[in-house]
Amino acid sequence: MKSTGLYFKKFIFVSMLFAVLGLCLTPLAAQAEIKELNIGIGIDADTLNPQEQTTTLPQNMCDLMFDNFFFQDPEGKLHPRLATSYEVSTDGLTITLHLRKGVKFSDGTDFNADAVKLTWDRIFDPKMRVPLRFAVGMVKECVKTDDYTVALKLKYPFAPLAPTLSMSLVSPISPAAIEQYGDDVRQHPVGAGPYLLKEWVKGDRIVMVRNENYWGEKPTVAKITWKIVPETATREAMLRAGQIDICYKPLPSNVAALKADPNITVEMPLDTRTIFMGLNCQKGVTTDKKVRQAFNYAVDKKAIVNKILFGTAEPMSGPVSPKVFGYFQMDKQYEYNPEKAKQLLKEANFDFSKTVSMRTPQGRYLFDSQVSEAIQAYLQAIGVKAELRTYDWPTYVAGLLKPIEESELEVFLLGWGPLILDADMGLYGQFTCEVNPPKGLGAAFYCNPEYDTIMKASREEQNPEKRLQLLKQASEIVWDDAPWMWLHVEKFVIAYSSKIKGMVVTPTEKFYPHYITMQ
Amino acid sequence: MLNYLIKRLLSTVPVLIGISLLLFFMLRMLPGDPAQVLAGQMATPEEIENIRHQLGLDRPIYEQYAVYLNHLARFDLGRSARTQNPVIEEIWARLPNTILLAVVAISLACLFGIPAGIISAVRPYSWIDYFVTTTALFGMSMPVFWLGLMLVVVFSVILKWLPAGGTGGWQHVILPSFTLAAFVVAFIARMTRSTMLETLSQDFTTTARSKGLKEQTVIVKHALKNALIPIITVIGLQFGLLLGGAVLTETVFAWPGLGRLIVDSILARDYPMIQGTIHIFGLLYIMVNLAVDFIYAFVDPRIRYD
Repeated sequence: MKSTGLYFKKFIFVSMLFAVLGLCLTPLAAQAEIKELNIGIGIDADTLNPQEQTTTLPQNMCDLMFDNFFFQDPEGKLHPRLATSYEVSTDGLTITLHLRKGVKFSDGTDFNADAVKLTWDRIFDPKMRVPLRFAVGMVKECVKTDDYTVALKLKYPFAPLAPTLSMSLVSPISPAAIEQYGDDVRQHPVGAGPYLLKEWVKGDRIVMVRNENYWGEKPTVAKITWKIVPETATREAMLRAGQIDICYKPLPSNVAALKADPNITVEMPLDTRTIFMGLNCQKGVTTDKKVRQAFNYAVDKKAIVNKILFGTAEPMSGPVSPKVFGYFQMDKQYEYNPEKAKQLLKEANFDFSKTVSMRTPQGRYLFDSQVSEAIQAYLQAIGVKAELRTYDWPTYVAGLLKPIEESELEVFLLGWGPLILDADMGLYGQFTCEVNPPKGLGAAFYCNPEYDTIMKASREEQNPEKRLQLLKQASEIVWDDAPWMWLHVEKFVIAYSSKIKGMVVTPTEKFYPHYITMQ
Repeated sequence: MLNYLIKRLLSTVPVLIGISLLLFFMLRMLPGDPAQVLAGQMATPEEIENIRHQLGLDRPIYEQYAVYLNHLARFDLGRSARTQNPVIEEIWARLPNTILLAVVAISLACLFGIPAGIISAVRPYSWIDYFVTTTALFGMSMPVFWLGLMLVVVFSVILKWLPAGGTGGWQHVILPSFTLAAFVVAFIARMTRSTMLETLSQDFTTTARSKGLKEQTVIVKHALKNALIPIITVIGLQFGLLLGGAVLTETVFAWPGLGRLIVDSILARDYPMIQGTIHIFGLLYIMVNLAVDFIYAFVDPRIRYD
């Protein structure tokens, strides 16, 4: 009787132990189904039509609602999504896209070649407002081959077209939604992505719910609420108070404090966006290469990154971000060397009585005006008189696209963020003769025929290895010619609850929370 | 009274035309090309020109103004250049939030400001008077931005009592309305104190006291009633300002009101949206002034609008 009682007591004890262990372990187990995820963001979307969108954050939302032909992962590898594969013709002038079968838009409309062609035709339509049309400017036509195949006809060979198709710019919209809403489809987005729009309260929140008919793996998050909180400090407070789960772009000055909080995870991968001081190569004192190089040596970029940007950037070590295909670290680095800068200015017979005109936007990039003020001080430290003017963005941008005869640009701060992980958008889009204003935004007016020949060859070259060599050659030329003061590459900072695991954050300032788990 | 109302309502027409004229030409004097902002940093000149044409910005300026006035006469505020939605829809989505915040803030300000001012005036140069005037000084000099963030830190992050921002329930209104009320309450308290001090030293107050009336009756029925006109004027003006000038509070507390809308629109050079919002502000201000004029008549029977 005694032993039975003992066994019973042991049984009770072991059962309780398991129960306690079970209770202790439950919160640690990953929660596969998440009812709602709240994300604090700074701006409201102006449009949710992916073709009209220029800002990364609403493009991120569009990705979740529309999906993409391909997904470019943080390492730059392409994964099939709405397109399963592609082939490039031998002359490089046709790219054939094979579309995924059995996919439906969230309104039940079939996803097929007709839908894809309709989207492309809208992109080509000059009456449509497509601000990023230039990014697919090489495509002249979309031809339906069969129900699930389309051929994109190009004006000229363009090697990085496949990654270009990962942009939300070309994400197909439901033809039925276009028919029903016309241009107002921007308020009623219907795509083939993992989420669909449930509610959009202007200036307050955008609510998405899971598309139960999504062709791919079912997202773990049932509902995503994007809360519009313009003040960064409030966003951070909301994250700390548990009122949001993700804080988009917290203040750089608070990154250290957020990292120290055990309840918060901070991710800050290097971005594709490069910040630079453009130096006019065709007008003013900066036409001399030695002056441009001197200005590069005069500025302590590491100090700017550490003291002004709180480590949320990295000094440029090549003409494009290290995150893109075609990046090479340059052998010669423009290390901070004021003596060398003075020497170069002396060799260039620099006229120290002249005042260099600097201009900067305010509030467009991280600490943009403060960075410009620091550069002004560095230039003054080597004896260069510099006058800095600050503008709001609309005023600033108006001065960027003027032709050389009218341009007043001499030394100017600007940022350039390629939308795909390929060097072409940076090297071609900023430094070839054809992008000199007013045709493009190469506002430094850099024009070098040798460079142009290499860059054109890089677009035609389909072999990645050979293309890399061409991009390296071009990088070395432009790096030495220094049409920019090569400043820094920004980091994309995002903070979220440390309960969240499995967040995908990309160098194109996007994040994908739909397959996360919660601890 | 009705004649006066009609006259006042009719007088809003030239005021609104004046606003439209000033606004239209001042906006166009601003540097920056809206077509370029909308077309994006990488647009071609053809695309920019196309947008300029769509927005009608390629027409002569007088023609643009005539078209704008014509639309305005039909209560058509046009479409936002940035979102391409009807301006009235965008305003309508935010106007109730702005009005709610302003009403709650002004109510709180009156609730605390008027009694504080009265107490201060009744006991001048006492400790309570010094307390009220010093607190009022703090209230007036404290930056809204700082106060808002401090309230967020205390009540949202530390105590976790109230939401830090956004809309939803009544809890969301508390912090922004207190922040907004802080300045106004101080202003109203100071104004009440000074006008009450003046009326308390008037002959009719002395007469009321010498008649043997209770001090409470003297203060409320005689002194306060006569002091109310300037206080109401201040409240009206402050209410008008709250309707249009709560940008900082709206930003700190992620409150989706008109203040933020207009700042975003200015940064994007969204002419139709700026024009539409300012017109609504103008209209609201006129209405508040009109309401104040009518309240005068209720408070002071000598004022008649015949």
